[in-house]
This record gives sequence, C-alpha cells and structure tokens, in this order.
Amino acid sequence: MIYEQIFHMVNVGIVILDVDLKVVKWNKWMEIHSNISCDIIAGKSIFDFYPNLDTKWFNRSCKSVFSFGNTAFLTHKLYKTIFPFKPVSSFVTIFDNMCQDCIVGPLRNEDKTIEYLYLMVSDVTKMASYEKKLLDMGSKDGLTNIYNRKYFETKLEEEIERSNRYKNKFSLIIFDIDFFKKVNDKYGHLAGDYILKTFAKIVSKLLRSSDIFARYGGEEFCCILPETPNELAVIIAERIRKEIEKTLFEYKKDTKIRITVSQGVSTINKNITTKTDIINLADKALYKAKSRGRNQVVTAQTYL
Amino acid sequence: MNTDKNEIFTQDQKDVLQEIMNIAFGNATAELSEIIDIYVVLSVPDIKTINSENLDLYVNNLIDLKKNTKIIEQKFFGEYNGAGLLIFPDINNDEIVTLLDYSDTDSIDYLEQVPVNEILIEIGNILIGACIGKITDLLDTYVTYSPPDIFSSDTSNKFCFSCNTDKDKTGLVMKTTFTFNGKNIEGLLLLLASNDSFDWLKKALDKFMESYL
Repeated sequence: MIYEQIFHMVNVGIVILDVDLKVVKWNKWMEIHSNISCDIIAGKSIFDFYPNLDTKWFNRSCKSVFSFGNTAFLTHKLYKTIFPFKPVSSFVTIFDNMCQDCIVGPLRNEDKTIEYLYLMVSDVTKMASYEKKLLDMGSKDGLTNIYNRKYFETKLEEEIERSNRYKNKFSLIIFDIDFFKKVNDKYGHLAGDYILKTFAKIVSKLLRSSDIFARYGGEEFCCILPETPNELAVIIAERIRKEIEKTLFEYKKDTKIRITVSQGVSTINKNITTKTDIINLADKALYKAKSRGRNQVVTAQTYL
Repeated sequence: MNTDKNEIFTQDQKDVLQEIMNIAFGNATAELSEIIDIYVVLSVPDIKTINSENLDLYVNNLIDLKKNTKIIEQKFFGEYNGAGLLIFPDINNDEIVTLLDYSDTDSIDYLEQVPVNEILIEIGNILIGACIGKITDLLDTYVTYSPPDIFSSDTSNKFCFSCNTDKDKTGLVMKTTFTFNGKNIEGLLLLLASNDSFDWLKKALDKFMESYL
C-alpha cells in the first residue's frame, strides 16, 4: 500500500511495459506531464500514443533489456525527444520540449525470467541548459557570439585529419578588416565593437551551416569551408567582400561607418600536413591582399 | 603478476569459467546480430587473477594511450559483481557514428556536434550488458548496472581503476579482443570480477560443473 503511494509520489516518471510494449502501469508523474490518465493508456501499445518512439533505437533498447537483462540508459544528449512533454520551469526557455534521461530496465519473475520492463523518466531540462551554457562558454567568442579561436583550432585539426584519411578537399579563409584601428581611433571602441559584431552577423548569413566561422583575435576572423574546392571558396570570399563593401554600418543615427575587408584563401593539398601549414598559407595570401591595396581576395593558389 | 594468488581458483574451476565465457560470448554475439544488428566478433577469452593494485599497470601495458583512446567503464552489482571495461585504443569520430544505426533519431544534434562519447557509452552498455547478461544466465543469477562512464584521453588526465577498491584485493580479469564485422574497428573487452564475489563464483562454477557430470 505504501509502495503504491511512493510509486505515484516520486518525482520521476515510471512506466511498466510488457513484452509487446503494451502499457501495464503509468504513474502519476506520467499522467501529469502527458495529460493521459493511466486508465486510458493501460493495455494499449506505447506506440499508439507515442509513435515517435517506434524507432530503431527505442526498439533496440527494449529488445536488449528483454534478451540480456541489462539496463539501457537513454540520455538527452543522444535522444532529444523521448516523451514530448512541455518544459515545467518558466525560467528555462531554450528548449521546446522537456529534456529527459530515461532508464530502461528489466523486471523479473520469481523464476528470474523477464516478463516486463520499466522506464524511468527524469526531467533534466535544467541540467541540459547548464550544459549548453558551458559548451557555449567554451566554444564561442563573447563579443560576436561566433566560435572562438580554441574551437576553430580543434575543428581545423579534425578537418586536416579527415582530409589526410579520405582525401577530401577543404578550404580556409582568413579575414582582416581594413584600417580597423582607424575606426577605433575615430569613433571609439564601442563603435569598433559594433563593427565586429555586425561584421560577424553579416558574414555568418552568407556562409553555409557546415562552415565553421570563428573570431581569430582582434579584427581577424577565419572560416573553415568543408568539402569546398579553392575556386568555390574564392567565390564565397568575393561575395562576402562585396557585401561588406556595400554595407553602411549604422552605429548611431548620425554615425554611419563604411569598412572593407581583405581575405586570404588557402585549400588543403598534399604538402599541407598541419594546421599551421594551412594557416600560414592563407596568412601569406592575406598579406598579399593587404599589400596590393586591400579590399580584395587573394588565394594562395594564384602565386604558388 | 602476483602468481601466488592463482590458487584462489582450482584448475577445474578455471576450465569451467573458460567454457562458460566461450558459451556466453557465442550466445551474446549471436543475439547481438539477430536482435540489435551489431555484428561483433569476440576472441577466446584469456583469464587471470590480478591484485587490484596492479590493475592500472596491467591496463596500461595492454594499451598505448593515444589522443583517440576511449575507455567505457560500467559497474555491475549482485552475487556476481565487478566492472566491465570496453577499450577502443584508437578510434576516430567518423568511425564511431557508423557503429549503431542513428538514422531515425532527431538529435544529432542540438549541441552542434556529434555526441561521440554518448554513442560509445551506448555501445559499451550494450556489449558489456550482453556479455555479462549471458554469463550470469549460465551461472543462474542476475545483476544490476550502474550508468556507464567514459574516459577520453583528450579530456581526462588519467584513469585509476584501482583507486576505489581496496589495494590488497584480488580481481579476476577476463580479457577478450573484439572487432566489428566489415569495419576497421577493434578493441579490448575486460570483465573484472571483484573478490567480494569469489566465494559465490566458486560455488556457482562447481554447481555448473556438477550439472554436466
């Protein structure tokens, strides 16, 4: 009798399923968050109510529990939606659904055979939001909210490793805003910050979601373009150059600033084995772009 | 390593354990391929007793720690208790995502990067659970499991399997190598039985032996 009360009072969802994955028990927590009462769902397949669970991973987990008697740990990091419930807290607003960790384990008879399995569902939305915050802090630049140098360098190493193994091409662009020091001197550092933030926003929009755009330091930015040959990288760089050239940066109503950007492009080839190699190559091209009068794209390929 | 403790198990008991492991691993790999679409090949296990103090040294000697080394650890509790260690000496992210079918998940991913550690934890959970599950079936018992944890040499500094156990205790190590069919991925699976369960294990092995006499 007391056990029955605990079953309904604990702050986790408990579901008991039979071998056909029909619901046997559905505790109060599940009733509250699903708006489905135990009377309605009992005896019916869990998939009738949650077709999103009829997947390879969920079936795989249940089958392994029935055959091996092990416990499956389904984490929110791998499985974004288990039971699509609304988040409970009014203060965590970055997720549309409650983040859940779910444990699936066996329930045994007296003779040790497994006749049922249990699902234990915990709300980990708050923890997931902290995780996301921590990850962002470690990988994003505080001012521009694009990736930081550390993340960029890790990704660049991975990309070089991948390219060594599978021989796929990727390109790198290094950007340097022309005469940025003059902006700071003339309009102040807050205006400079505004330029950096807006520049990052404009460039991000012109890139693809697979590109990794980062602030390298000061007014220098860089971008990894996976699966991109040199010619295509130059086209993308030129598109960015034109967009920046024609943009009027409106810091304040009466402070409108124009800037231009110089870019160096390099593409992986058989002589490049480290991240320093490919950065140096793009850097040299960037230097050429500066010395040839700025506001232009130079690719390492043209002078090699 | 500590050969003087070898008499904990009689030769007969060791032979039975070897046989049980062979049957259990055979059953585990068969069911993994039938039910979960994981095609794994496990080698004939090697069994030895090791003092817990020497366990880290033993693991260190087995593998050459690289940037891509990953170790998944899962503890299990019951009459039979200990830990499973699944060791990938050198695996890269592109290989990891091919291990299990994630085609119908919606989740790779809000973290904007593939959660490789989570995938390995799931693999570890399945492989360790399958092997331990089949061994415990044969020994007529069952265990419960802790959530698996992962050691990744690019983020953790060191591992210490002996840190949380008494230094003078002996463990039983069952070592096997595994490969995934059609994939260039191999590793080591260590199943450690702690000496709390030795008395029970010896009885269970004798009982298993009797049933075949």
